[in-house]
Amino acid sequence: MAVEGMSASAAAARTRPQWLETFTGQALALLSAFGIAILAGALLILAYGESPIEVYSSILEASLGSPDGIGYVLAIATPLIFSALAISVCFKGGLFNIGVEGQYLVAMVTAAWAELSLDFLPGPILVPVVLIAAVLGGMAWAAVPGILKVKTGAHEVVTTIMMNGIAISLVAWAINFPLKFTEAPEGQNVDLRTDQFPDQGLVGDIGQYFGVTPGAHLSWLLFLAIVAAIVVWFLIRRTRLGYEARAVGSSPGSAKAGGVSIGGTQLRLFLISGALAGLVGMQQILADRGHLPQNYVVFLGFTGIAVAFLGQNNPIGIIFAAILWGILSRGEVALQIQSEIPREFIIILQGILIFSVVITYQFARRRLAARQLQRAGEAGELEDSAGPDEDAGPRGPEERGTEAFEPAEKKGT
Amino acid sequence: MPFTDIAVALQISFTYFTIIYLTGLGGLYSERSGIVNIGLEGLMIIGTVTGAFGARFFTDTLGFADGIALGLVWGPILGILFGALCGMIFATVHAVATITFRVDHIVSGVVINLVAVGLARFLSSTFFDGQSTQSDPGGPHLARLDIPGLSSLPGGLDRAFEGLSPIVIVAALMVIPVWYSLNRTRWGLRLRSCGENPEATRSLGVSVPVYRYQGVLLSGAFAGASGAFLAAEVVGNWREGTAPGLGFIALAALILSNWNPIRLMFFAWLFGFAVAIPLRLNNAPIISALPPQFIRMIPYIVTIVAIAGFVGRVRPPAAAGKAYEGAGGT
Repeated sequence: MAVEGMSASAAAARTRPQWLETFTGQALALLSAFGIAILAGALLILAYGESPIEVYSSILEASLGSPDGIGYVLAIATPLIFSALAISVCFKGGLFNIGVEGQYLVAMVTAAWAELSLDFLPGPILVPVVLIAAVLGGMAWAAVPGILKVKTGAHEVVTTIMMNGIAISLVAWAINFPLKFTEAPEGQNVDLRTDQFPDQGLVGDIGQYFGVTPGAHLSWLLFLAIVAAIVVWFLIRRTRLGYEARAVGSSPGSAKAGGVSIGGTQLRLFLISGALAGLVGMQQILADRGHLPQNYVVFLGFTGIAVAFLGQNNPIGIIFAAILWGILSRGEVALQIQSEIPREFIIILQGILIFSVVITYQFARRRLAARQLQRAGEAGELEDSAGPDEDAGPRGPEERGTEAFEPAEKKGT
Repeated sequence: MPFTDIAVALQISFTYFTIIYLTGLGGLYSERSGIVNIGLEGLMIIGTVTGAFGARFFTDTLGFADGIALGLVWGPILGILFGALCGMIFATVHAVATITFRVDHIVSGVVINLVAVGLARFLSSTFFDGQSTQSDPGGPHLARLDIPGLSSLPGGLDRAFEGLSPIVIVAALMVIPVWYSLNRTRWGLRLRSCGENPEATRSLGVSVPVYRYQGVLLSGAFAGASGAFLAAEVVGNWREGTAPGLGFIALAALILSNWNPIRLMFFAWLFGFAVAIPLRLNNAPIISALPPQFIRMIPYIVTIVAIAGFVGRVRPPAAAGKAYEGAGGT
């Protein structure tokens, strides 16, 4: 009976396309992760003696209730899309670029340098030049851990973190020496920052066309971020580099046997990641501030990691995840005004959300893999279940959990 | 004169040795059991905020009794233990994610670090009346200690061994119980075998998850204690960002030590000295020619060079980082 039941369900499953099963599984995982996070958040709100429904609706009201709110949300999402894309590109190849933080800091310095030393150029030339300077700065900073990884095997998690520490000091040096603030008003020169960038070198505000307040600093960098997401999707799904990256990421051994240069692929991924990371800070300095201020530590690189996990490293998923993150961040404002809950509650909620997403996805992935394996075993066609690039879903836990993290590769040994 | 500078730098290096060594020992237990823990930094951050709170709370609660300042002796110690307890509780999240749900160890560790920053702010605003990034300075700390004999060295060198926190000595002595527990007890043998060959361990009737949970919880306790030491004994209060990268430096020291508690002492001190250079030796001959911002890069550059140079010469626990499938996988 049991055997019959199993083969019947296997037969039914075989008629269902595999991508649909993967998609349903992932959607279910995502929904249950949201459910868990909302529930846990509700319990916390109750512990503070407030009504969860009121608090949640005030968060949504502040972020989506008006064009201004939506403008703020999208402006918050813009740098996060770049940052999460940078992380996801490396992640596809089994690499963790924790160094986006440092890469965008350095890119802000090179961009500021380009702005201030080429201020005679007209806007349509200056802005692209500045963006290229930022991209090159990010790539240069990402190249170091990339080369160290390929040449010596030093684990990128440790080296990129150290590069972040160096980058913070580099920014401090730049605004203390070569890019020092010279236009300070009389008697007020304590402000450590660069000079104001020329007006034609800033990116235009697009909020005015949608009735959004200029205070939100919504800029066309948002469209650039969306284009970047599409380019990354194309790169990973439709090019040879993308195929090799996924091969290296899911099984370095097989990739090597298949003739893929592991080191070359990893280095190229790092450079692409660094290029994307270079654009992270542009929303802040070109659309918001118009100069590079001191102590610019807002953890955009680290937040990008969270957004990448939330979007499951899928470029389109990342856009939505960044917007969701923006909604929650914008909700902080509402919390402060309308409730007694400390604003840090939002950060806790975001934390719970990432953990539940990571855990439920892992759970779903294992279930799917087990089912595919079982079905393949019954049908006697093992090779089917491990086709190299069929769907967007990551492979089974075996590849992800073990082979990608062989001790020889792991933590720089 | 320069001797005094070097001596003071040495004294600072002992303080940072304590932080790096305690955190490194935490990582040692976790990785020897097979769970990679790059969340050490986050566990330390939780230790700093809870340790600063604990030290103040217990000092005030115990106060004076029978004319003895009970609080001043036990307050900071209980504070550090409280930090260790909270680090352990937070490490449970990493344990559940990696051992029970078999989430990738690095992914979970990264998330631990991310969440810790927010959680620390949340705890801080709860503990310290809405101050989310720092507490009032000048918290209680233990009486400072001069090491007998060494603190009477001539030529200014005595400064290196004066005014140390007693916890520095405790941290240095931790090498004995840690080494003994790993190498001379049944528990240690089993813990290590979970990190080398979990299948074989299981075949002997030992529960791999149980030992791995213990390893991860111990790493939380050590990293939490280390963060609490930093807040209560070094800084004197909780401030956001007082441990930038120290958890990762500890991880680097652990790798270079080849997961050995005795060698870890040397590398923890070496990195501690690298951290002390920008704090004290910025007037030394070659170093003073650099802008101060470049001097601050030294610890990070030393770490990168060391990691890149030592790769391939150390061997991590064979099964570290791998998900353990239990009975033949699911």
